[in-house]
Amino acid sequence: MEGQSAFNYQEQVEEIRLAMACDFVALALVQPEERHFQIRWEYASGNLSQRFRRIVLHSGKGVAGIVFKTGKPMYVPDAQKYYKKEDLYNYPILIAEELESFAAIPLFKYNRVKGILLAGCRKKNCMSFEKFELLKSLVAPTFGPYYSEELTGN
Amino acid sequence: MNGISQSGMSHLLEQLYENSTEAIFFFSLEGSVLSMNKAAEQILDPQVTQLMQSGSTDAICMACKGFTSDEEEQTCISCYMSDPNRNIPSFQVFLETVGRGIVPYTGSIQMIDAEQGIRVFMLRDLTEQFKTSESLHQKTLVKRVIKAQEDERKRISRELHDSVAQEMLSSLVDLRVLKYMNVEDEVLKKVRQTEGSLMRLLDDIRHLSVQLRPATLDDLGLEAAFRTHFKWTEKNYGLLVHFKSNTHSQRFEGEIETVVYRVCQEAVFNALKYADVEEVDVELLLSPDELTLTVRDSGVGFDSNAPTYKGTGLGLFGMKERAELVDATLTVQTGIGNGTTIILTVPLKKEETDIENNHRG
Repeated sequence: MEGQSAFNYQEQVEEIRLAMACDFVALALVQPEERHFQIRWEYASGNLSQRFRRIVLHSGKGVAGIVFKTGKPMYVPDAQKYYKKEDLYNYPILIAEELESFAAIPLFKYNRVKGILLAGCRKKNCMSFEKFELLKSLVAPTFGPYYSEELTGN
Repeated sequence: MNGISQSGMSHLLEQLYENSTEAIFFFSLEGSVLSMNKAAEQILDPQVTQLMQSGSTDAICMACKGFTSDEEEQTCISCYMSDPNRNIPSFQVFLETVGRGIVPYTGSIQMIDAEQGIRVFMLRDLTEQFKTSESLHQKTLVKRVIKAQEDERKRISRELHDSVAQEMLSSLVDLRVLKYMNVEDEVLKKVRQTEGSLMRLLDDIRHLSVQLRPATLDDLGLEAAFRTHFKWTEKNYGLLVHFKSNTHSQRFEGEIETVVYRVCQEAVFNALKYADVEEVDVELLLSPDELTLTVRDSGVGFDSNAPTYKGTGLGLFGMKERAELVDATLTVQTGIGNGTTIILTVPLKKEETDIENNHRG
């Protein structure tokens, strides 16, 4: 746990939002085993409401749940094209924050996904491929106690 | 029958012939039309009428699209006109009409003057009756589908909960035993991770079981099931549900509880999907002879006279059908920008309110 206290997530999340020039950045953390690996959005910047705090996801559910389950980043330049309108309610963070384009990347610790970093805009196609690459580079190679790539081998 | 003279009777018959909505044709032995009433002229194409009046023997075939036999819906095989001595009290016949296309009629054909071979052919419009019986049929079908779906969900949910989840739990216990054996640290770490994955899987199965049909509903009743469900919607969708109830966890008949639960679930889901709100109010009020469920949101609402379906449009229909299963009434109050309120009122029979435990069935 040491080193973690010195790392100010809130500040980092805000800095990433400025660097990315996007509307919303949030960090979801995976709760420990005792709390059934629930995923909550813990830190956010540019949020419209506090609704995101109510969201508790399980593996495979919602944007964070999918990134957690697959361990792969998501890049969605146009949410309306990516999701069917009738399915959108399954991604509460997109609804709560009215995101039209976003990217989400996994953060690893001990080869397990421990966090999910999301950056999004309320305008479609605002999240360009360059911005997606920028987001990845901002947390590479490490973000606090986490690292951005799954370590293969040693 | 008394007191009507011969002339009175003919007057009545004449009136019947002139004013009846049933089409009446008189056919000669050869099959040409001797006379037809106004109703008959109105349903047929003027050209066909003209042909008939000019004495053509098969003019009726231009309008007739066949009748229903055992084999086929519309056929001309052994046509009702073919045998002059055969009286058929009722059969279904399809006619090409002016402006309404092909319409089913109940026809009857009978010999009324054997000496001269005159037959009468009468047609009664069946479309209304058809529509009624079709919608009745549809409603019973929908109700059966709802019931079948509910039973199936119950079965799979129980199976997942009682059998799959139990098996999973026992393997989890087996795995935990491994932790207390003399194993290397590296193995221990892997075992812990596997234990975590298994626990997650177990949670997933339990969630699936609850989503299909909450066992709480059968075991603890509406209020408990609602509280669990609303906690779940809050976590999963960030939608806050303010729930008020005065039922004091009272139990109702199993079917009533299912209907109320499902209607509420659907209504809250609709609010979540379409109303564009963060909060919904739900009230469950019990009065001596009624149970009332109110689901209210202050969202975008819709025009109930001309709804634009954002989903399948089946949700509201399904809610109404479910309500009918227990003779309940469903009211939808809404308007664009006025939010939506859904009120379900279930009548309670006196003895049922006292029943404590009849939902295990």
